[in-house]
Amino acid sequence: MLEIVFSVGILALIMLPVFMTFSTGSRNIQLTDAEFRAHTAAIELMEQIVSLPFEMIKSGEYDSDAIVDGGQFAGGPVLFKLSTAADLWRAMKVEDIRRDGKILFKKVTVTIRFAAAPGSERIREFFMKTLVANENL
Amino acid sequence: MKTFKTRAFTLVEILVVCGIVSVFLGTAIMLFTNFRRSYSRSEGTAVLMQDGALFLARLRTDLNNAVIAPDASGGTPAQLNTTPDQLSFMVYSSREAKTLPVVYRYLAEENGGSIFRREGSEKERELIKDRVASLTWQTELERFLEPESTGSGTLRLSIGLDIKLKMKSGDEKPFSLKTSIFPARLNRQLNSP
Repeated sequence: MLEIVFSVGILALIMLPVFMTFSTGSRNIQLTDAEFRAHTAAIELMEQIVSLPFEMIKSGEYDSDAIVDGGQFAGGPVLFKLSTAADLWRAMKVEDIRRDGKILFKKVTVTIRFAAAPGSERIREFFMKTLVANENL
Repeated sequence: MKTFKTRAFTLVEILVVCGIVSVFLGTAIMLFTNFRRSYSRSEGTAVLMQDGALFLARLRTDLNNAVIAPDASGGTPAQLNTTPDQLSFMVYSSREAKTLPVVYRYLAEENGGSIFRREGSEKERELIKDRVASLTWQTELERFLEPESTGSGTLRLSIGLDIKLKMKSGDEKPFSLKTSIFPARLNRQLNSP
């Protein structure tokens, strides 16, 4: 009797990781979905800045309060155009890269913070960088 | 008289063990069925997400290579054109060293629409088959003027995309995405002096 109870217990322990694999797979797909949305949001913000004429890309740091749909970019005439995304926060930094007193490039870094799963308190961070060349030189 | 002492399970012991094993197996089968259903749903969602990601990447690459080029009749530049079922523009093909028309076509159907892409004189290719629940694309041209400037301001061209993908079985979580694409080359050309 005791032997059988033990063997059933061991069998249950062996089966546990198998069932946990399914659960982990499902969680990973949820995370991939959140990562994909964060990536799309980063590209959307990055593209609209990079598409502007070089002199319109103002250097500075912009946090999630400054980056809102319909809000002004750097207090200028250009307005942000952003799609609605839940559990997602944007930040951006634009830096000048100079040589001999001239601005050769603008370095644009977009940071996205997002919840690992809908409603989750676990926050992940994703960032994307690019350089915009000064074509007016 | 000789007595034989044999070791064996009693009926009660066998019944108890059978009870434990059947409870365990029942639970295991139920859990496995639930996990399988959930896994199948997640797998379907992953397939939809992959379809959406590939389509978006393809469209984004094309739009980033889109240029304003004179059309065949000359003179008037060919614009980025959108209708509910078609999105067309010109791209610069480095392979052929010339501009080529690219056409995205959406075929809406009740059980799931499809998206096709054609470049130049190539045959139309299917990007997503029977999984598009809804799709809208819209071109928007904005002009931003400095308050006291006399210049023509800054132009910004963007394509608003709203797509929803769904499996035929309908058990999977639909994949929906809303974003804007800003064609870099086109915007540079529009704002070039």
